[in-house]
Amino acid sequence: MTMKKICSLLAALSVVFAACAAEPGVAVERPVTSVYALEVGSAHLAQTYLSPLRYSGVALALSYERMQAMRFDPERWVMRLSGRLDGAHTHNNPARNASMWDLGLNVGWGMSRRWRTGAWSFYAGGYTALEGGLLYVPRNSNNPVAAKASWTIGATAAVARHTSLWGKRLTLRYLAEMPLTGIFFSPEYGELYYEIYLGNHSGLVRGAWPGNFFRLNNLLTADIALGRTILRLGYRCNVSSTKTHDIVSRHIEHMAVVGIASEWISLSPSRKPDTKAEYISALY
Amino acid sequence: MKAIRNILILAAMLMPFSLGLPACHSLESYENDYYGNFDALWTALDEHYCFFEEKGVDWNAVRAQYRSQIKPDMELKDFFDLCADMLAELRDGHTNLSSWFDVSYYRKWWNDYPQNFNWRLIQQCYLDFDYSTSGSMSYKLLEDSNVGYVRLSTFAAGIGQSFVNDMMLSLKESIGMIIDIRDNGGGDMTAVEDFASHFIDERILAGYIQHKTGPGHSDFSKPYPYYFDPAMGVRWLKPVIILTNRSTFSAANNFVQVMKPLPHVAVIGDTTGGGSGMPFSSEMPIGWSVRFSASPVYDRDMKLTENGIEPTKGGDIDMDPQAALDGHDTILDFAIAVLVRNAEDNKDNSRALREMF
Repeated sequence: MTMKKICSLLAALSVVFAACAAEPGVAVERPVTSVYALEVGSAHLAQTYLSPLRYSGVALALSYERMQAMRFDPERWVMRLSGRLDGAHTHNNPARNASMWDLGLNVGWGMSRRWRTGAWSFYAGGYTALEGGLLYVPRNSNNPVAAKASWTIGATAAVARHTSLWGKRLTLRYLAEMPLTGIFFSPEYGELYYEIYLGNHSGLVRGAWPGNFFRLNNLLTADIALGRTILRLGYRCNVSSTKTHDIVSRHIEHMAVVGIASEWISLSPSRKPDTKAEYISALY
Repeated sequence: MKAIRNILILAAMLMPFSLGLPACHSLESYENDYYGNFDALWTALDEHYCFFEEKGVDWNAVRAQYRSQIKPDMELKDFFDLCADMLAELRDGHTNLSSWFDVSYYRKWWNDYPQNFNWRLIQQCYLDFDYSTSGSMSYKLLEDSNVGYVRLSTFAAGIGQSFVNDMMLSLKESIGMIIDIRDNGGGDMTAVEDFASHFIDERILAGYIQHKTGPGHSDFSKPYPYYFDPAMGVRWLKPVIILTNRSTFSAANNFVQVMKPLPHVAVIGDTTGGGSGMPFSSEMPIGWSVRFSASPVYDRDMKLTENGIEPTKGGDIDMDPQAALDGHDTILDFAIAVLVRNAEDNKDNSRALREMF
């Protein structure tokens, strides 16, 4: 298929979506919901390339979440962009005389179908995520680092309930994400990074499926409207476990989440606010 | 409130599900007692050590022999010694057990041999305590013989490229270079490449490297050839003699392995200490760490140099202790004599240096 045909098809699809969504005479504004959050908690790590022991310690993360209803069908389709920088400093148990550091960056984008039933909203869809990072054991000789890199495509689902608490608007949400396929990086069982540096790149990229790359991200949040600002309190439990080349890597986090959320609309001199427009939020 | 309850119930139902699934990727667990620690140590070696076959070590028999000696009420230091003795069965200088009170070493790869090196003697009687130095490298032009002497004490400190260029330019009028890596216990393989690349003018096959692909004793990858390219700076293609002793080990052994086949290079001294397995680390629940050979490195003929590299034929020389008392390093004297003879007899450099022995 030529590029011209692909462009024509995409254009036709967008017209169809727009036609399905548009209600004649009613303008729609799609506010962006953005949340900046700080997460503090515990991390439990194991990485057999670095050590046969399990490590536990403190974890810290900064996260960003951005949601918006989709233009083609704002009532039923929403997108979610997320980014998260996390770090952990852990000690082995029970000796506690060595440490393992963890650093990771995750960026994801997904789109979900939304069903609204009274005060409830249900979401189900797909997402794709890029992740990179490393685990570091300072006292190891030629294997001090295990790098992490993956690109995955997965399923996401969420349920939200809109209610009130002490007269404040309250949105409760439980969100889960699980990668289903993709690719990820791993050296072979005893392969040193020096050999990779020398140019041996065979077998470093592995196909991912839940049997060798299991991950489930759980996020429970309570968003309380305080005037124009929204306070987010929550709990995150991320669980991942990979096994490839006989190397097992496990990463479990329990994090308390505190964040600030807001909703905004892009305006410009040429784009004035439409006071009669219907506002369709992706979350609230 | 009912909504909150419903959401919490849903999350509570799914989160244990997420915590339970990774259990299918099982992790070994070891008790933090003598038996658990012994098993963790033995298993780390069993699954990762790379020279069982070459050294003819029956690791299961070793386990049976040493595990039976564990007593629950033994002293911690006695347990450390027991573990160290077990590791010594591997006869491997790269294998160490590190605790907060001691580090075990296998020393027989050098302590049964003459040391063949005295740095003070060289500084006093050959360099007159007057030489250029940077990091681990020192050099001087020996004016009596017009030979460049370069001392490289370790590959752990990195090799300064600008210093190497400057050193080679300073010695460019000499008849040859002596690189003294006696007592060089190794360091970074990248430093070996950085230095060796100054002695070649085309890409060379440096050797092969292999790694374990699984926990079985025979689970190895196909040997991967690796190459060195010429350095961007000064390249030294005049005669080179490398001085070695049994304490020339690990990365220094690798340097000899790469350099020895070059036609303008010869090796004089004692057989090197070996150490051609790149080390890997693991640890025990008690907090001790262990380092051991995990990735074999072969020379360009796919020969293992774990037990050392012999000098060039005719270059097997020991240092004469009596001559040393008179201020002579007989290994260094022999190397200087070879370079002088080479300069006199081989003016067009048509013969390989090793033919001058």
